[in-house]
Amino acid sequence: MSRWRPSPDEERWLAVVSELGAALPRTAVAERTGGWRSTGLLARIALFVLGFVAAALLFGILGVGSKANLLVAGLVAALAAEWLTVSKRLHASGIEEGLCVAGFLLIGAWITTLIEGEPRFADGSVDTLVLIAALAAAGLRLLNPLVTTCAVLGLVYWVGSTATAHALDQTIGGGVTSVTFGCALAALALVLGAREHRRPSHDRMLDWLVATLPVAAYLQHANWSAFNALHVWASGGTGRLVTVVLLLALGAAMLVAGLRRRRHAPLLGFMGCVVGLAIELRLATTLATETWLIVYGLAALFAGVALDRYLRQPRNGLTSAPLDSREGPLDLLQTAGAAVLAQRTAPESPPSRPTVTPGEGQFGGGGASGNY
Amino acid sequence: MHTLEPELRALHAEGTIDDATASRALALDRGQVFSLHPELRATLYAGVLLVMSGVGIILARNLERIGPLAIVLAIALAAAACAVPAVRAKLAGRPLTVAADYLLLLAVLLVSADLAYAERQFTLLGPLWSWHLLLLAIFHAAIAYAFASPLVLAASLAALAGWFGAGGTLGDMLPFSYSTPALGARALACATVIAAWRYADRRARPDTRFSDVFDHFAANLAFWGTLAWCVDWPWIAAGLPLLAALAWTSVRHGLDTGREAFLVYGIVYAAIGICAAAVPRLHGMTTSFSFVLVIVCAAAAMLWQLRRRLREPGP
Repeated sequence: MSRWRPSPDEERWLAVVSELGAALPRTAVAERTGGWRSTGLLARIALFVLGFVAAALLFGILGVGSKANLLVAGLVAALAAEWLTVSKRLHASGIEEGLCVAGFLLIGAWITTLIEGEPRFADGSVDTLVLIAALAAAGLRLLNPLVTTCAVLGLVYWVGSTATAHALDQTIGGGVTSVTFGCALAALALVLGAREHRRPSHDRMLDWLVATLPVAAYLQHANWSAFNALHVWASGGTGRLVTVVLLLALGAAMLVAGLRRRRHAPLLGFMGCVVGLAIELRLATTLATETWLIVYGLAALFAGVALDRYLRQPRNGLTSAPLDSREGPLDLLQTAGAAVLAQRTAPESPPSRPTVTPGEGQFGGGGASGNY
Repeated sequence: MHTLEPELRALHAEGTIDDATASRALALDRGQVFSLHPELRATLYAGVLLVMSGVGIILARNLERIGPLAIVLAIALAAAACAVPAVRAKLAGRPLTVAADYLLLLAVLLVSADLAYAERQFTLLGPLWSWHLLLLAIFHAAIAYAFASPLVLAASLAALAGWFGAGGTLGDMLPFSYSTPALGARALACATVIAAWRYADRRARPDTRFSDVFDHFAANLAFWGTLAWCVDWPWIAAGLPLLAALAWTSVRHGLDTGREAFLVYGIVYAAIGICAAAVPRLHGMTTSFSFVLVIVCAAAAMLWQLRRRLREPGP
């Protein structure tokens, strides 16, 4: 039993509690979870935001003008998070996570103020790298997959922003370095995800990387392509070809892994690869925007309908039916999504036209009446 | 990968969980049963979003080339085609599948866009154009009840909120930007109508699936409306007590039903409202920040404590 964070066994029992929900009496496993206390997803998100805001306010109270206050506010926030973890035995509760992330970032920001002369590492900003390292440290301390994923995504963007990457991009195509780096990390996470992990949180960290890296890396490439198309020079065919090949290979690997392992993360990563490929296909053609939107939309709908029909009766354990009838965050998201869509299509107020009365014509000059 | 099989077997062996729970949990853990429902929903939502975006551009750009009447008819036909799977399921007496539900949503959204376009082109309602939204809300509600679709009901409630002039845009969520007491009153009126509708629906159909959708809309609209009353005097005299009452009701509802979203609404909206009311009246940045910090800490502690008291929702 560890004071600082749940041991692997305790974390596994916490995962069991989360998995079984109301079917498992809390008292039956209270001892096995080591007394660690957690909360639900929505409360965790709210508490994370409150913790983060509290740390930022503390810095504001101390005074934003002084660099030393970054360190003081960061230390106070990080120590408060540690106190909540060690004394109150909070784990994945949100509040200690928000405080810890904000505290580490403030300390990281203070370290960047000590570095003078804007030094470069691999021709990239060291300041950004320090903040990414602070975020990664907080994520590993908290065993929080969202925070570690943000750190890795930041690293991918940092790699893409270095002068070395820009030099490589000039040769092989715009944004290809970051796409390659992101896809390589996603592939590595996919491979590591096949291994047995004692800690569920380590597994989740890899899952989050697998699910998010393809889209995040591709987005940076897409930004680069848009920038080039507008300002510099048209993105070369080599870059596009490399990107397509990478996304195809990674997407295929993720689809196979997702179906074999029966895990959502590789399937979400596969969907991210499909999005990237669809945009590349659109860029390679001269289809009008509305046409490709409707064609891709219809393709997604047909794919959804076909999958739903095919898996209505479970096949080899795969089904399209929900396995849990409880209302979850996804249902809330779905309701909000439908409302947003409905609002986008709702009628807008008609353009207001100034009332024209005889003698006050707009274009005809004195004596004209009505519209021209 | 990780497996929780040893822990699940231990719980089963000592009799903490029954056979059915154990076998179900083990099947899920081993991947013997695996649902693609979340991926399916994401795909279908993306499809609806893309199609509606494309249709929106067509309506904006190709008016002269195709002609208004042709556009209206084409979109109406597309909407009818999208509704076919839902109609077939209804005729066969089956519940809607997730795909049929999303296609039905696409159908009603296409009808919305079509009617909006027709209204804009032919000014059918003239200066009463905003009543269009009420007609849409009624039409969507009829479809939602006919097919028992919570998704379409959400579209109906969004149209109703739009008719009240309290659509859920980001600006409405940021009361400090430009929300006014009048906007707050409209949001509160809309929330009252939705709450009454929910009550009537619950009484008429005790097994309704719509209560959750009503609850979320009513709670958010009521809180947004109240926040708009928490800034200026004399509205604040009514706004703060109303905020307290709403927060208490929301927390009570959350504790009774086991849904933590309502705990979050009650605590977070209350904290925002108190800060909105007090901070403009405080002098100095340090005082303001200190006050907000106290509120944030109190809100976090209260949310934590209340979440501990929340009973697990039933299956």
